[in-house]
Amino acid sequence: MKILDLVLKDLRQMLYDKNSALFLVAMPIVFTFFMGYAYRSGESSAADPRIPLAWVEEKSPAEMSNMLYTHLADMDSLVITRMELDDAQNALQRGKVDGILVIPAEFDQKVLENQNPQLTLIADTTTATGQSIYQLLRMPISQLMSSFEIGRMSVESLNDPNEFMPTVNLAWEKWASHNLDSIVRVEQAVGQQEESWYGDNPYNQASPGIIVQFAIIGLVTSGQVLMQERKTRTLQRLMTTTMRPWQIIAGHMLAMFAIVFLQTTLMIIFGQFVLNVNYLRVPLGTFLIAISLGLWVASMGLLIGTLAKSDNQVVLYAMLAMFVFSALGGTWFPLEGAGGAFASIGKLLPASWAMIGLQNILIRGLSLSSLWQPVAILLVYALGFFILAVWRFRKVEM
Amino acid sequence: MNAIEVKNLKKSFGSFQAVKGVDIIAQQGEILSLLGPNGAGKSTTISMLSGLIAPSDGDAFIMGYSVTDQPKSAKEKLGVVPQDIALYPDLSARENLLFWGKMYDLRGSDLKQRVDEVLEMIGLTERQKDRVGKFSGGMKRRVNIAAALMHKPDVVIMDEPTVGIDPQSRRHILDNVKELNRQGMTVLYTTHYMEEAAELSDHIAIMDQGKIIAFGTHDELIKMVGEQTRIDLTFNAEVEAIIPAWKEIEGVSGIDASDGKVTALVDDSNQALPRLLEVAAQGGVRILSVDIKEPNLESVFLHLTGRALRD
Ligand SMILES: Nc1ncnc2c1ncn2[C@@H]1O[C@H](COP(=O)(O)OP(=O)(O)OP(=O)(O)O)[C@@H](O)[C@H]1O
Ligand SMILES: [Mg+2]
Repeated sequence: MKILDLVLKDLRQMLYDKNSALFLVAMPIVFTFFMGYAYRSGESSAADPRIPLAWVEEKSPAEMSNMLYTHLADMDSLVITRMELDDAQNALQRGKVDGILVIPAEFDQKVLENQNPQLTLIADTTTATGQSIYQLLRMPISQLMSSFEIGRMSVESLNDPNEFMPTVNLAWEKWASHNLDSIVRVEQAVGQQEESWYGDNPYNQASPGIIVQFAIIGLVTSGQVLMQERKTRTLQRLMTTTMRPWQIIAGHMLAMFAIVFLQTTLMIIFGQFVLNVNYLRVPLGTFLIAISLGLWVASMGLLIGTLAKSDNQVVLYAMLAMFVFSALGGTWFPLEGAGGAFASIGKLLPASWAMIGLQNILIRGLSLSSLWQPVAILLVYALGFFILAVWRFRKVEM
Repeated sequence: MNAIEVKNLKKSFGSFQAVKGVDIIAQQGEILSLLGPNGAGKSTTISMLSGLIAPSDGDAFIMGYSVTDQPKSAKEKLGVVPQDIALYPDLSARENLLFWGKMYDLRGSDLKQRVDEVLEMIGLTERQKDRVGKFSGGMKRRVNIAAALMHKPDVVIMDEPTVGIDPQSRRHILDNVKELNRQGMTVLYTTHYMEEAAELSDHIAIMDQGKIIAFGTHDELIKMVGEQTRIDLTFNAEVEAIIPAWKEIEGVSGIDASDGKVTALVDDSNQALPRLLEVAAQGGVRILSVDIKEPNLESVFLHLTGRALRD
């Protein structure tokens, strides 16, 4: 009961602090929008996710090669440009295109004469993109060839050469309508991985990143309450009452936890209902991450409040924690994109586990069981910081 | 049972011994002053009494409860007014008192009523909604005291509650202390102002360099010095001729005169001074100034340590 009174007193002090509203609510919301906007505009100015393909015809366009051209030009995952062979090779060298499709000069004729027209794809098939082009072209080309085959068969069976084009067109259309779905699905599966690391909503990165980052920044105000408690000697006075030392520590820890948890919950609600970030896809998972994040940040706040000797030092330590944990922990940009030592250090930090947990829910579409590890690691960090804070507290104040 | 009993209390910080074996007894319902210069070890002693620091040796009892073995019971009986103002500056006076009341397990209407009572006593009912941070030093000191009284403790320990404040607030606080004492509280009052100790106390303990160097009532301590009241007089003319007549006066034990200046040692200035002046008038000299120096705790401290109480 007295612990609760202490918690309420701490919360009251935080709410009386004009900076609290700023650090706890206003800034995180503004920054979420800002980061979300930054990711999105970064996206639009980035390279077109579609694969550029050069189309080279050794002779001027003919009817049958045109059918293929039109079809490929309609595909979502390709940007196709007609070029001369020299220019195309040049473009391939400079990475302007990822592949060249060469249509031989006597294409129509060979088709009609039932010879192999021998299309050529020039691409680096050791790369994922080269492979993708090959896979993307294989299906429509074999479908086109089979349409020609069907055309020839109908010419033979009806003995009417005029049947060729109508039958080919019919078969081609059938192929197109029949396979459109599966073709499209393949294209998108390839396209999506290349496209963006945050899924279809830029706030999937911005919102959880800001939650973790501002949970730590919030210590600027909540850490001050404990520091003030020590500095104004009210802590000494508390110890002359019948409050036990563990109750005093528990009260302060609980107050910090409450404020972090409240802030996180607010940001989750904001993310869910304003930004369409689907935290509630795994409600229990989101809840567990919020709890364990809150415990870790609060125990860190306890340590900061115990170490700092002035308001300025609280701000300094909180900002330091924010930079070390947020920047390295992947709240600003995903660690996958950073690579190297940076990413492997970051992976060890609690902030990155909070991010991994939230993104398992938001981006990777994983279930509750994927969250046990992040939650457990956050709790271990919380315990570590708590022990450090209590040890320090007892040494200095008792 | 004694309200406060301190037995051979010692405290060392590293190799430095701040309190070197202190014994104090305060009877229930009395005001006991702990008088001593800066660094005497007063606050250290009080910190041990209030359970803030563990004694290196010895023990203390509050209403019979050992502060080392039964700290919870001892703390329930005790209200501590710390030397530094220990309040939340961003909370109002009322919010502060409500909070400290809760820390002593007061709740509901009892709590509200006690806050009202205490605010009334320290004279801050009107200002109760204001933030403590905006208060003057004297007002803060008063709230600082009030916070320790919320649970109506049997024993109140006050550590220099009047340091650095205006005379009006000091007067208010001294009157509060007397009032609390009248209500039955035992008060241990720490100060380095001998006037406060003289005015308030039933008993006075004089502390210096970690030890109690004298203990007794005000009069007992004064008698220890055995000093008489000194009266310094100046006149407009030579007074050689009058000296024999002055020496005749009862209760005057010494007269020393040179030029127009006279120093007389007397048992009681109230009786001796009128007689001294009467004789002077008969001798035909005019009196220019009178200065009476009562023996005080300052002289006691000087007598015991060879140093002045205040730097
Ligand atoms: N935590 C501590 N560590 C080391 N020395 C200390 C500590 N606390 C007090 N002292 C020393 O112990 C001595 C007594 O200090 P204390 O505060 O008890 O004096 P005081 O009588 O209350 O003086 P004042 O009138 O200035 O308040 C001083 O020399 C002080 O420097
Ligand atoms: Mg002191």
